[in-house]
Amino acid sequence: MEAERVLAQAVSDAGDRIRAALAIRFRDLDLAEEAFAFASLRAVETWGRDGPPRDPAAWLYAVGRRRAFDLGRRAQVRARAAYDVPEPEPDPEAIVMAAFEPIPDERLRLIFICCHPALAPEARIALTLRTLCGLSVPRIARAWLTSEVAMGQRLTRAKRKIREAKIRFEIPEPDAWGERLDAVLATLEIAYAQAYEDAAGASDAADLAAESLRLSGLLAELLPDEPEVLGLAAMIRLAESRRPARMDDAGVMVPLSEQEVGLWDNRLIGEAVILLARAAELGRSGPYQLMAAIHGVHAARRDTGQTAWPRVVALYDALMRVRPSAVTAVNRAVALGEAQGAEQGMAALAAVEGPDRITEWLPYQAARAGLFAKAGRTAEAAQALAAALALDPAPAERLFLEQRLRNLKAG
Amino acid sequence: MQYLLLIYGDETQKDPAILQDITAAHMRLGAELAESGAMVGGNRLRPSETATTIRTTDGTQSLHDGPYAETREQLGGYYMIEAPDLDAAIAWGKKIPGGPNYAIEVRPVWAM
Repeated sequence: MEAERVLAQAVSDAGDRIRAALAIRFRDLDLAEEAFAFASLRAVETWGRDGPPRDPAAWLYAVGRRRAFDLGRRAQVRARAAYDVPEPEPDPEAIVMAAFEPIPDERLRLIFICCHPALAPEARIALTLRTLCGLSVPRIARAWLTSEVAMGQRLTRAKRKIREAKIRFEIPEPDAWGERLDAVLATLEIAYAQAYEDAAGASDAADLAAESLRLSGLLAELLPDEPEVLGLAAMIRLAESRRPARMDDAGVMVPLSEQEVGLWDNRLIGEAVILLARAAELGRSGPYQLMAAIHGVHAARRDTGQTAWPRVVALYDALMRVRPSAVTAVNRAVALGEAQGAEQGMAALAAVEGPDRITEWLPYQAARAGLFAKAGRTAEAAQALAAALALDPAPAERLFLEQRLRNLKAG
Repeated sequence: MQYLLLIYGDETQKDPAILQDITAAHMRLGAELAESGAMVGGNRLRPSETATTIRTTDGTQSLHDGPYAETREQLGGYYMIEAPDLDAAIAWGKKIPGGPNYAIEVRPVWAM
């Protein structure tokens, strides 16, 4: 039991570092995965018998490295169609000596490889969660509501492409830096969006929220001079800080403006404020910093008791200039409704250029319902709510929309 | 490692000024590839209407007039290059000219 506890602790403290170091050293993600699994298994056996080593992480890295080396050599021997040589057992002395070699920090390199823009976006995050964070395939598959088989195939395909097309195992060069960093940031954004969808956080997407926090924090630590990296880390923290307030006891979604600020996570808000201040010092704005700033204005309600809506509108305007999207346009219309009145908001919403059949788009109908209700146009609000309910909202949002509809009818 | 860079573009592009620019850019790129030692080979292909496709179905071969895939963009040429990795091959691929709208497919070559 003791051995398993020490192992769990070592993996939680240094697992991603060891996995990354193995992957980079042997330039083979499968080999690294297999070697790390072997080292963990060995640890349970040996530590249970002899007691845990002084430095469990270094032990895991040394044994994993030895295993990867042997597996790689055997593959080479097989490739040359020669006879298999007997595998030498690592002697305890060698393991102790090797344990003094520090584990190199290759996490950033591994993130860049897993999030290479030549890989499909949906494969990138899965690969990062698998090879760096060590999440199991079933857990990743559940978070994406897909089958284990499909997720396994997606991962296999991505790893094969890295190997066979020979993706570079290096931090990108300055001329490719922007494109590569964008791919990393987009990957994390997709992961967090998936986690955020689920207001309840009870499902497996909650894993993703925790990993998104961890990965974005790690990236901010490794790239402290990239303002957009800091912006994304801040954005995820601010959005996540509201999780405890996003749903009431009956499982009904609580919209942001009605959330009880006392439930927000002060630690996450504090971290985000520091990140955003540091990003601002670097003097290069960008979409992630703007999105984080919008969340920041909402978070300020905790201290001021009100939301500075004109400021929110101004930030959405800036965001529309650098990264226009239908979601942003709809959110801007809602903010405008708060800042300047429902009529202004409805005019802005009517001008949104969205997906082809925008009336079949849930955020659009939900925004319409809110603006009509605000304007006192009850019948149209009820119509929009009914339309939104027909678009298959998530359980918490469905309950919320139904509640609104009842309230409207009760007058 | 060798990579094949396939150039897909609109072969109906006939504007002489654009074609001249593209040709000149190919000449410069070819010189740069040769200079760096990355050039293995490359050619411009005649229009896809000159293509013949030999298709084998259940072991029987038949000929078809035209390219294998009838798409909006046609295979118009290729470069075969030597590059240390995909990233280097992509960097070369990004330098291939082709007017306002075209695509480059980067394919690693199976080493013999």
